Amino acid sequence: MLNNIRWLVPAKHGGESGEDREIVVSSRIRLARNLSDFPFDIKLKVKDSERLLQLSRSVIERDCSGQYVDMKELTPLERESLLECHLISPAFLKMNKPAGLYLNEHGNISIMINEEDHLRIQGLTGGLNLTDISAQVFECEEEIGEDLEYAFDEAYGFLTSCPTNLGTGLRASVLLHLPGLVFTNEVEKVLRGALQIGMAVRGLYGEGSEIKGSLFQISNQHTLGLKEEELIQTIIKLTHMIVDVEMKARDAIFTKAKHEFEDKIFRSLAVLRSARIISTDETLNLLSALRFGIGTGTIKDVSLDVVNEIMLVARPANIQLYFGQILEEHERDIRRAEYIREKLTASNNI
Amino acid sequence: MLCDDCKKKPATIFFKEVLPGKITELHLCEACAQKRGLMMDKKLSPFELLQKLLQKRSAKDEQVICQVCYLSLAEFKRQGRFGCSHCIEHFRPHIENLIKQIHHSSKHVGRRPKQGARKSFKVFKLREELRRALEKEAYEEAAQIRDRLKDFGVDDAE
Repeated sequence: MLNNIRWLVPAKHGGESGEDREIVVSSRIRLARNLSDFPFDIKLKVKDSERLLQLSRSVIERDCSGQYVDMKELTPLERESLLECHLISPAFLKMNKPAGLYLNEHGNISIMINEEDHLRIQGLTGGLNLTDISAQVFECEEEIGEDLEYAFDEAYGFLTSCPTNLGTGLRASVLLHLPGLVFTNEVEKVLRGALQIGMAVRGLYGEGSEIKGSLFQISNQHTLGLKEEELIQTIIKLTHMIVDVEMKARDAIFTKAKHEFEDKIFRSLAVLRSARIISTDETLNLLSALRFGIGTGTIKDVSLDVVNEIMLVARPANIQLYFGQILEEHERDIRRAEYIREKLTASNNI
Repeated sequence: MLCDDCKKKPATIFFKEVLPGKITELHLCEACAQKRGLMMDKKLSPFELLQKLLQKRSAKDEQVICQVCYLSLAEFKRQGRFGCSHCIEHFRPHIENLIKQIHHSSKHVGRRPKQGARKSFKVFKLREELRRALEKEAYEEAAQIRDRLKDFGVDDAE
C-alpha cells in the first residue's frame, strides 16, 4: 500500500522548513526547457516523443539520483494523486502521448517529460524558501544541459512552446494562507496590488481553480526581460509584504474579537477530531481555521506538519491511495474522517 | 493623506503624469481614481493578451512558413504555439511586436545554456548554417552566423 503512495511521503506539502511557514504554505519554481533537436509539442510525432522520452530519461537518470515514473504505467488514481501533490500539472494529465515523470530522492524536485514543453523542471518546498529551491532547480537544469542542447535564442532566451514562457521559462510561485485578510475583507485589495505589479493570483490548483480554505497562489507572469534572480526577488519581497499585512490583520482580529475567533478555531478542531463523515472542501476550510490557530498560538497541541500532511492526504485521490482501495465519494468521506481523527489524536499524544 | 478629489477618504493611489513642462501629481482614493478613469478595470494577463493579439490575422500569414517544421504563421496564430526551435527565426519580423506587448520587453537578460556544453556540436551546426547561407548568397545572415561563431572563439573567414 505504501508503495502506491511513494511520492506522497517525501513530497509532504510544506513538510520542510522555510520562513513564515504558517502563512507561506509552499514555494515553487518551474523551468520550461525544450531540446533544440526535437520539434515542439504541436509538431512532435509519437515516434519522436518516444525517442525524446528515452533520451531525456537516460540523461536524467545518469545526472540525478531518484526515480522515474512512466505515466502510462500509472492508474488514473495515481495520476490524479500526482496532481493533488502538485508534482504534475493539469495539462500533463491530458497529454495523449508518451510522457514520463522523474522524481528526485527527496521528492522536492520533479521533471515532467513531454508536457507542453519537452522538460518542465520543478522544485517544491515548504515555507518561503524560493532561494534554496531555485538553486537546486538550476543545478539540475545545468546538469541536464551539459548533455542535451536546450533551444535558445539570443533575443528571446530559452525557447518555449507558448510565447508567454519565452526568456527565462521561469515561473516562481508561493502558496499563501491568508485568513486574516479574508476575515477583514482586505484580501482583494492586497491581491489587486499584486496584479498591478504584474503578478498572477490563483486558487490552490493554479490556473482557473477556485479559491478554497483562504489559500492563494501568487506567481510571476512575465518571463522575458528580467533576470531569474530579479523575478524571484520580486516574489520574495511581495510575499514579505503580504505576510506583514496578514499579521497586522490577525492582530486586529484578535484585538477586536478574541473570544469569537478562539471559539471558531477550537470548534474547527473539535469537528476535525470528532467528525464521522467529512468532505475535502470542509476539511480544507476547517484546516484553514486550525492553521490560523497554530499561527496565532491559540492551538499548541497540533503541529503544522500534521496540518500540512492532512491537507495533502485528505484529497480525493490521495485518501484512496492512503487506504489502498478505490472508494466511492460517500465512503471516501467516511474514511477521510477516520484518517483525520487518527492523525489528530496521535499528534495530541506527542 | 486624504484624497485630493473627495477630501474624505484616505488617498491610496498616487498618480504622477509627466508631460514636457508640466508635472501633475494626484493623491486619490480608489473610487475617485476610478471616476477619473485612471484605474484599469482588469489587467489582461500575458496569456489573455496573447489570445487577443493572435486574432489579428492577415491573408499573408499562410505564406510565412518555418523552413524546418513547416508551421505557417497562420497556424501559429490559430494554436498560439511554436512548432520548433526554428519558428522564431522564420517568424521574427511578424511576431516582434506581439512578444514585446506580452512581456513588455524584447530582450532576454537571464541565464544562458552553458557554452561549454557540447561546444563542438554547436560549432558544427553553425558551420553548417554558414555554408547554407553562403550557398544562397545571404551575406547578411552569414555575417550574423560568423559573429555567433566568434562567440565560440572560432574565426571562420571562409
